[in-house]
Parts: sequence; structure tokens; C-alpha cells
Amino acid sequence: MKQVININFHGHVVPIEVSAFDLLKQYTESLSRYFANEEGKEEIIDDIESRIGELFQERLKAGAACITDDDVNAIIKSMGRPEEFESEEQPGNAERKTFQTTSSTHRRLYRDENDKVLGGVCSGLANYFDIDPIIVRIAFLIILFAFGTGLLAYIILWVVVPSTSTTEIGGTRKRLFRDPDNKLIAGVCSGLSNYFGISTWIPRLLFLLPFISFAFHFNRWNFIGPSHFLGISFSPGILIIYIILWLVMPEANTTAEKLEMKGEKVDMNSIKNSIAGEMKDARNFAAGKGKTMASDINTASKRGINSLGDIIGLIFKIFGYFILGCIGFAFVMALFGVAIASIAIFPFKDFLLRDGWQNIFAWGTLLFFIAVPVIGIITWIIRRLAKIKSNRTTLRFGFFGLWLIGIFCFVSMIVLVTRDFRSSNRRSEQDVMLTNPAINKLEVTSIEPSHKFYENRWFRDEFFDDLDQDTGYLKNIEIRIVKSPNDSFRVTTVRSARGRTKNDADTTAHNIQLDITQKDSLLIIDKGIAITRKDKFRDQQVILTVYVPVGKQIRIDKNVSWGDNFQFRNSWNDDDDIEIDNANWDENTDYIMQPDGLYTLDGHPVDEKHSPHHEKVIIEDNGVKNNTL
Amino acid sequence: MNIDNTASQMRKGVLEFCILSIIKQGEAYPSDIIDKMKTANLNIFEGTLYPLLTRLKNAEFLTYRWIESISGPPRKYFSLTEKGNAFYKELETTWNELANAVKTLSEAEQKFSNNNNTQ
Repeated sequence: MKQVININFHGHVVPIEVSAFDLLKQYTESLSRYFANEEGKEEIIDDIESRIGELFQERLKAGAACITDDDVNAIIKSMGRPEEFESEEQPGNAERKTFQTTSSTHRRLYRDENDKVLGGVCSGLANYFDIDPIIVRIAFLIILFAFGTGLLAYIILWVVVPSTSTTEIGGTRKRLFRDPDNKLIAGVCSGLSNYFGISTWIPRLLFLLPFISFAFHFNRWNFIGPSHFLGISFSPGILIIYIILWLVMPEANTTAEKLEMKGEKVDMNSIKNSIAGEMKDARNFAAGKGKTMASDINTASKRGINSLGDIIGLIFKIFGYFILGCIGFAFVMALFGVAIASIAIFPFKDFLLRDGWQNIFAWGTLLFFIAVPVIGIITWIIRRLAKIKSNRTTLRFGFFGLWLIGIFCFVSMIVLVTRDFRSSNRRSEQDVMLTNPAINKLEVTSIEPSHKFYENRWFRDEFFDDLDQDTGYLKNIEIRIVKSPNDSFRVTTVRSARGRTKNDADTTAHNIQLDITQKDSLLIIDKGIAITRKDKFRDQQVILTVYVPVGKQIRIDKNVSWGDNFQFRNSWNDDDDIEIDNANWDENTDYIMQPDGLYTLDGHPVDEKHSPHHEKVIIEDNGVKNNTL
Repeated sequence: MNIDNTASQMRKGVLEFCILSIIKQGEAYPSDIIDKMKTANLNIFEGTLYPLLTRLKNAEFLTYRWIESISGPPRKYFSLTEKGNAFYKELETTWNELANAVKTLSEAEQKFSNNNNTQ
């Protein structure tokens, strides 16, 4: 008993057995693979199919109830199988034929292109050992999940084992085109899927995944770190990659291009081949360069000892090329670094920039000044590697024009932001209320930030020591230790900030909130200076002065401030600045105040330890200058 | 070197010439061409014929028109273009020269071997 289905074959309804239909389908697929690189492939296959349709009709007219396996086999026999065709323009074909006949004597391992899930490795192995592919596949999956090593083996086999398509079909190499017939945005994904011979949804999903997870990660501020650049969470990288592919991949417009796009099955092997070819070209190029250099050297040495200058010139030439290459490379790498860093920084821009022009210029800078050259350079490199010849001058001028806009945005932004830092505020020292100033030891500490962001990153993106929903906390705190004139501790703060005018700076400084409370011997400082999206970062700083009585101990914990390396120094202050003369003591160390300065508990003076070669002037409260070496 | 290979190479060379000869006699439908070739004892697969026809058509040696058929889809009937005629003439000359050359050479060989045998 056989199942019969009706198919619409070239405009005619044909009842056909399911198994016969499978045969037919296999046959037409083998044809389309065989003619993959043939100009007018569609037409040839159309002709053959319509002839088959005619033969079907003949059989049905003759009284057959449906098309059977035998019918299909007879038709295939008269049409011929692709491997029986005599083809003329593929010189390799004859060799391949003989190869196939001889290769039947000894078995070889091929990846099976006709029965593949990923690369056809499993079915190839199954063919080789004459077992069911499903067994091999399951075995591979078990190895993969149990030991995590199957993937590597698979990839190695994918690269190393030749594909059946290279022996049976051959022809020109497939090329990467955007597919205009099957596109959502620009046809990049469908082009990629054509190239690798996989379903379109796989590259589409890969491109979409970051956007889907973006929705989950958005609220957790997770999407900005550099290590996430190409990761699973939202990455602008994937968008940039798409845009670059869009620019780099030509659209398949002519039939020939479409055939090239879908043509030969390209696998890891042919990619490997093409890369090898690429490398060879590079080597030839280098060899050519080397030859001209060598001839330079030759001519130079022929001219003898007199031409020592030439040799030196040549050496300088080589050196110059080398330096130029290094500079170029460094420039490109720096550009990429800036791009990644600025993408990481960008979400913080609201803490610095005011709405309006500053914001607009910031966007302009990111898009045109940073993203455009990155995309441009990558596009250029890939186009050079892919040897795409079409000279798109409009593209080049477009890039350059956009970049000029970017420079304008960048400069404008810098100018506008710098203006907001022009004036500093009027400073005044304010006392902090101490509940018990007469204790013996004071330890300055801070609330440990509740949540650390971006720990263990390769570059410092902790702008804020803590970040609530829209408030960042800066520990831009200077600490000075000064001898107290009496026998009780005294703590004062000086708030400083910058602004466009002195009044702006005053307002910003006035808004600085930094709670300081004493709890027994602990002086607890708030988690930092609050910076909100409303109160922008204007170099807010608090200078905390601790007046330590003689004979009493002081200790500054490390979590109080950033330490010297990350302090926003007010070194460009022009007016009424308070002189800062500390930073010679270490954090997390106990000190004791002596009449002539600060000492460690084991009796070393602080200044001597740190700056033995510099004359240090400490102005004591009584006005006596103390020179210590 | 194997005999199948050489024979098929030889056939390949003249296949286009044969197809053009058939079409030259009048409009022809691919399966007609196959039939005529079969009667002339030149067996090829239909699958080989279609790409050849398409190639010749793309080279503007052939043109075709659709003719409705009683059985199945409309058929493509091929005929020679002017360019195709000229091409055919050239092929014909080449073929005649080649055939003559082969004939002369192989007959000379035969005579030579006959002479050897008689001695």
C-alpha cells in the first residue's frame, strides 16, 4: 500500500506516490546542484522539469492511475543523472569521473553535503563506518555535553575533511552577496545563509539575540561594559557588524551573481582555501617589495664605499616605513579603543552634559566622529581583503563628509563643556559637628558602596563609586591632616565646584551633599558626593581637613576617597585655592601627631619617609616655617 | 587514459555540431532532437541536451518560440539564427577538414599495416 499525493508540477496536477515524489525531488535537487554555476541554471532546470512534466502527462494519458517509482526511475534514466552528463567546460570533470571510479576501490572520508545538519561531519563519519548518522550525531552530542570537547573535534573535522560537494560538483567558489529576493532589512542575513548553506533563520536569530536580551538587561545597566561588546547582552557591536556587512557585501542583482551567491557549497574547507590564497597574495606582494629593496641595496653596494650615504638613506627609508606602519596601526587601535570607551561612557553623559546643544553635539561626536571612521576603516579593510573593485567615490566622500561633521561636533562639545568649567566657586571652610571631639583616636572611614559596578575590568569605567537609579556618587574627597591648636579634634570641609560663572559654581558647590557623622572613634563619611542628572558633574570636590591634637592618633581608611591616582585635581585653579600639602601619609595606617608633625606609631616621621630628597615646607599654625629634609 | 573518457571527449566536441545540424533542417523540439540522434545511433541523455541548448541560445546561435502542445506544458521549438547559421558553416568546414584528416591518416595507417602484413 502506497500513499499517493497530488503535486502541481509545471501547471499540471500530477498524482504521484510519496516515494516517487521523494525520488523526483532528490533528482531535481541533484540537477540544481549540478547546474549551480551554469549561466541560465533556472532555464535549464525549467526545461528539464517541463519535459518531465510532459512525460508524466503521457503516462497519465496512457491510463496510469498515478506516477510510480518505476515511472520516475525510467524518466531519470532517459534524462540521465548529473554524474552521467557529459559536460564540456569543466576540465576537472573528466578527472573527477575517473577519480570516482578509482576511489571506489579504497574508501575515503568525506563530509556528506546531502545529509547534513551543520557541516556534514557526522553523516560523513556514518558513511565511512557504514552506520546510521543518527548514532554518530547522538554520540557527538553526548561527548559535547558530557566532556565539552566534542565541539573542537567537530570543527577540526569540518576543516580537515573534504566535502563531497568538492568532488562531485566543483566549479567556481561561492561569493558573498546580499540577497535582494529574501530580505528583511538589507538581505545581509539571507546572503550569509546562502553562503554557508544554512537556513536563513540561523543568522537572523544570531543578529537578533542581542536585541532580545537587551530588553532584559536594560534596567540593570549591564549593557555598557566593553566585555559585553560582542556578548549576549545588548551590544552596539552587532549593529555595527550588520552595517559593515551591509556596506561590504554587494547586492546580487544579475542572475550570474545570484548563482554565485547560491552556487557551490562553501564550507570551512573552501574558506580555508580562500584565506590561503589571500595569504599567498600577501606573500607575493611582500616578496616583490623585498626584491625592490634588495635591488636598492645591490645598486647601493655597487656604487661602493662612496654610497654609504645611500645605504644609510635606505636604512632610514626602511625605518621610516616601519615607523609609519606602527603609527598607522597605533592610530587605528587607538580609534577602536576610543570607540569602545566612548560607548561605555555614553550612558553617563547625562551626568556631565546639559540638555540642548551639548547633548546634540555628544551624539554627533559618537556617531560621526567615532563610529563613522571605525565603520569606514573596517569597511575599507574588508573590501580590500575581498578585492571588491567597484570604486565608490561617493562612499568615500560620504564618509569623509560625515567625519568632518563629527569633528565639528566634537570640538563644539569640548568648547561648550569647557565653558561650564571656566569659573570656580568661592571657598569657605565649614565646621563639621563632632559629638565627641576629645577622643584619643579618630578613624576616618566611609560607608562601603553597597554595590560595585564593573569590577575586575581591564580599564577603569567606575566613574561612580556607587550608582543608584539616577544618582552617581563620587568620592572626590581630599583629606588633609593638620595639627590641632588645642587638645580636641576638629574637622572642617571646603566644598568646591566649577561652573560657567562664579555664581553657577557657588550654587553647585552649595548643593554638594556629603554627610559626615561621628560614631565613637569613627568618623563616617557618606558614600560620596551625589551627582544627579540634574546637578551635573562640575568637578565637585570636598576638601576635608582633620585637625589632630598633639599626642592623638589618626587613621584614614582606604575607602574614603579614590586615592591620589584618580583624584580630580584642582591644579588649574586660578583663584583662592587652598593649598594642599598632604598626601604623604598612607591610607589604612595609624599615625600619631607630634609637635613637629605626623609620625607613624613606630616613630618615623611622615615627611621624611616619603620625600627625603625634597625640601618640604610645612607652615605650622604658629607661623614658624619648618624645614625638613 | 581510459577508453570511455576519450570517447566521451570526442563526442563532446561534435555534439554541438550535431544539434545544430538537426535544428538547421527545421524547427525542432528537444525530444525530437534526442529521437533523431538516437536514430543516427548517437545516444545522449536529455539532461545533457538542455544545458547545451541553453548555452547555444545564450550565445545567440539559437532562438525559440513557444508552441502549445496537446500533452503537457507548451513546448520550446528551437531554430537557427543568422549568427547560428554562420557558426554552423564554420563548424561544418572544421568538421570536414578534421574528418578528412582523420580519414587520410587512419587509411594511411591501414595501408601501411596491410603492406607490412603482405610482406
